Amino acid sequence: MRKRLSQLFLDWLACTYGVVLLHRIVWLEVISARPLPFAWAGSGSATILTTVPDWVLYAIVGAVGASIAGFTGASLVALLRGELAPNSWQRRIALHVGSLLLSLTFVTGWIVTKISLTDMFSSERLRAAGRIFSSLLTPEFSILPQAIAAIIETVYLAFMATALALPASFVLSFLAARNLMREHQWTRLLYTLLRIVTNFTRSIEPLVWAVIFTVWVKVGPFPGMLALMVHTISSLVKQYSEQIEDIDPGPMEAIASTGARPLQVVWFGVVPQIVIPFLSFTIYRWDINVRMATIIGLVGGGGIGTMLNQYQMLAQWHEVGLIVLVIALVVWVMDYVSARIREALL
Amino acid sequence: MALLEINALSKVYPNGTQALRSVSFTVERGEFLAVIGLSGSGKSTLLRCINRLIEPTSGSIVFDGADVTHIKGDALRRYRQQIGMIFQQFNLIGRYSVLQNVLMGALGSVTTLDSILGRYRPELHTMALRNLEIVGIADKAHVRADSLSGGQQQRVAIARALMQEPKLLLADEPVASLDPATSHGVMRYLGYINRQLGCTIICNLHFLSLVREYASRVIALKYGQIVFEGSPAEITDDWFRHIYGDEAVEVEIR
Ligand SMILES: Nc1ncnc2c1ncn2[C@@H]1O[C@H](COP(=O)(O)OP(=O)(O)OP(=O)(O)O)[C@@H](O)[C@H]1O
Ligand SMILES: [Mg+2]
Repeated sequence: MRKRLSQLFLDWLACTYGVVLLHRIVWLEVISARPLPFAWAGSGSATILTTVPDWVLYAIVGAVGASIAGFTGASLVALLRGELAPNSWQRRIALHVGSLLLSLTFVTGWIVTKISLTDMFSSERLRAAGRIFSSLLTPEFSILPQAIAAIIETVYLAFMATALALPASFVLSFLAARNLMREHQWTRLLYTLLRIVTNFTRSIEPLVWAVIFTVWVKVGPFPGMLALMVHTISSLVKQYSEQIEDIDPGPMEAIASTGARPLQVVWFGVVPQIVIPFLSFTIYRWDINVRMATIIGLVGGGGIGTMLNQYQMLAQWHEVGLIVLVIALVVWVMDYVSARIREALL
Repeated sequence: MALLEINALSKVYPNGTQALRSVSFTVERGEFLAVIGLSGSGKSTLLRCINRLIEPTSGSIVFDGADVTHIKGDALRRYRQQIGMIFQQFNLIGRYSVLQNVLMGALGSVTTLDSILGRYRPELHTMALRNLEIVGIADKAHVRADSLSGGQQQRVAIARALMQEPKLLLADEPVASLDPATSHGVMRYLGYINRQLGCTIICNLHFLSLVREYASRVIALKYGQIVFEGSPAEITDDWFRHIYGDEAVEVEIR
């Protein structure tokens, strides 16, 4: 019953989605060729039914489609769940509906992103491309000392973010590991809360954190470090705790059976199994953080990114070229070094 | 007074599997009790219920005259300190040395901070080395535990359990991942501990030949119920087919 209902609901979502695209994109944009701005909002079909708002209409048509799919069995959801017999007509129809939805999505994407080959390859545009590439490829070496100072700031910023996130992530990861927390009601509650919080903070990009912290503690490397640290904690807690959930429970049982205390069970039964993967994750995080730190600099988070942003605003492309070169070199070196260290650990 | 009394013990796992169905038996001091039965008959569940690594669903466990079925916290840890356990997969901490692994058997009597800093009392060190001598690998005290062979690792596990000076030793298929010769080696140490140190043993075993050689008494589980209880010599061919099913053929391990 629940399965049928969820199938009906998902079919309804899919049908409504198709109807919206068919009307707003295919009918209004392509066939009636209404000019942009784009017609997602506003009532475009006033001519069809003046009293009912468009979206209600879409929902109703979608519901009709979902009901038909439900009755005949030619349901997209059933197809995706692999419930339709290989050669049935229901499967063929569902396949057609599915490919229609896919092509509609592609057409919509094309229109929404305003893809235009003339914008890219007209002679005027090609000349502009030539200008920037030739500038970038002849970097201005006189600012090399500043660039090196800035990238050092970035690397240290990334290091501090990782180092400060490490102890917090380590402790929290045990509280976010289901196999350690499922025994009691309270620990299970804590586990759930922690999972919700870290999932939420992780879904906020470091760039957004950087914007928040530049308002909080003013522009500079410090807010950049804070932004990376918050993101690193939530990412490491996830990676660490998944590693903890993956351990062999045998040693834990063995330590618990000696009459050891819970902390001893974790220290001797769990920690030895995870130190190496934890180290490896952490070094990889530092590597990722160096890349992210350059991006975060663009919004005022300090280091080489801030420098890049300044020269880009002034359209000094030779200088930008040098900065890009320095970033690429350092990222490549970090990547290589961290890969080597992680290899050596395994 | 018997050392251990199990009364109508049942275990239903959260997924609905009924692993034990009203199992009752007693274990006298000094016994070497073998538990046999097909894979999935509930042997491991039974052992883990005894030291409460698994919570039984119903029934009771009386150890040394005290009901331990529902004890918690410190009481549970003190109870577990009296019961050693060894496992099929040895469950040593591979990154630590043999000696450190043996010392872990004494964790219950060392504070958390001391154990994390590796500060064990001198007499525990002496005891650990003596226990390594009992199982014949004192010379390996300072090598990493995961560099040992399977049979040696199991002997380290026995030494670790001996640190608890256990009244009862639970052994969950201690030789199932060892070759026949090594198996006998490990079983002989268990026999020695049973007779010379007076430690009561409950041991899950797969091979009847080992049961006949080492156990003083046997219980057989089938679908979570006790279907046989008696001395090893009483397991006739009929009983064997009853316990293991008609298709089973006995294999010898020498
Ligand atoms: N954690 C668990 N959750 C659910 N069911 C389990 C769990 N552990 C064991 N079982 C089931 O309980 C039954 C008894 O398992 P148990 O491990 O006690 O058997 P066993 O006699 O030790 O078998 P083996 O010889 O394979 O070790 C089996 O059907 C098993 O699948
Ligand atoms: Mg088992």
